Amino acid sequence: MGELHVYDMIVVGGGPGGYTAALYAARAGLDTLVLEKLSAGGQMALTEEIDNYPGYEAGIDGFTLGEKMQRQAERFGAKTAYAQVERMDLTASPKVLETSESIFYARTVVLATGADPRKLGLAEEEALTGRGVAYCAACDGMRYKGKTVVVVGGGNSAAADALILSRIAEKVILVHRRDTLRATKVYHAPLMQAGNIEFRWNSTVTALLHGDKVTGVRLKDVTTGAETELSCDGVFISVGRKPATELVRGQLELDRSGYIMADETTKTNLPGVYAVGDVRTKPLRQVVTAVADGATAVHMAEEYLAGGV
Amino acid sequence: MAAIDMNKEQLRKAMEGDKPVLVDFWAPWCGYCRRLGPAYEKIAEEYGDRLVAVKVNIDEEEQLARSEGVELIPTLILYKGGKAVDSVVNPGSKAAMDQFLQAALDS
Repeated sequence: MGELHVYDMIVVGGGPGGYTAALYAARAGLDTLVLEKLSAGGQMALTEEIDNYPGYEAGIDGFTLGEKMQRQAERFGAKTAYAQVERMDLTASPKVLETSESIFYARTVVLATGADPRKLGLAEEEALTGRGVAYCAACDGMRYKGKTVVVVGGGNSAAADALILSRIAEKVILVHRRDTLRATKVYHAPLMQAGNIEFRWNSTVTALLHGDKVTGVRLKDVTTGAETELSCDGVFISVGRKPATELVRGQLELDRSGYIMADETTKTNLPGVYAVGDVRTKPLRQVVTAVADGATAVHMAEEYLAGGV
Repeated sequence: MAAIDMNKEQLRKAMEGDKPVLVDFWAPWCGYCRRLGPAYEKIAEEYGDRLVAVKVNIDEEEQLARSEGVELIPTLILYKGGKAVDSVVNPGSKAAMDQFLQAALDS
């Protein structure tokens, strides 16, 4: 049996944070592997147009941007395996990653597993994503200029999304299953004063009405059980995000929502393990903040590999 | 071997061969389909000696997609001897495609 191949760095997840870490690591001469379950880009692979990533003045679709980041990292020697990680031992030396393809070993691990928007679980919700169903007002709001949109949710992200959309859309209808918002007080007055935001309290969305695209929603009043239909051009689902941290639960410190506890250094509670992008505790989850994390993680990993901390 | 783009007639011929045929029904405007692409190419390469991996663009082959009952894309269908033996809609990982194929090839 040959000796184990131990990578200097394994990056879990091929989104913008992951491939930026791979780019910096490969350029620093580290033997680097990215484990990606499906394709480069992560969440942005399904975003039709990204207009807030500097340098692409005409916008770029997320899938293409993801592929570009992958090719850039691979140009400097980073490798990719299309593998789903099943188990990790991040305390072992070297660290062990069991995957659908084989077992990999690494001196350092960068977790770039991301987060997914929580879904409502409606029939055809996935199929209509990008055709009226959206999860990010800051990303997709511009497509609904002068139109009518529904926002589902009552927390801070729903309130923020409703405000963003109120400046773009003709009318915003906020649908919430309770009779008051869970969002912090700072949002309440602006929502009331926007002038084009209507509220449907005590209501849930039970169905998406559609042809090729969304044409409306069916609402259910949770107090009376009565159902009504509402026409709209888009539905923004703002019921929170779910970080992909199931595999590290018990090994890494997570916050109450399941995000990996790591500050701007991206260091986790385990030496040689870093968290970058949406999976890390942070105030703003965007492509630009994810790529910044990727660069920082490699800087920290180089110090660690050199014998520092 | 890379996955091969086929029309209805080419697919009919491919099905006359000895190997099972795996078809990815997709369309250029479908984000989930694009996302499946790189891993599907990997599948085509790894299973090259056991099956023929094909791609069918449903915009160009509407009739074929309809006759095969494809309503959502991406849909993968495995054919043996010209008959559909199993299908999967929008697998979420290469591992999910592997699982589907291992079960479908053995069935």
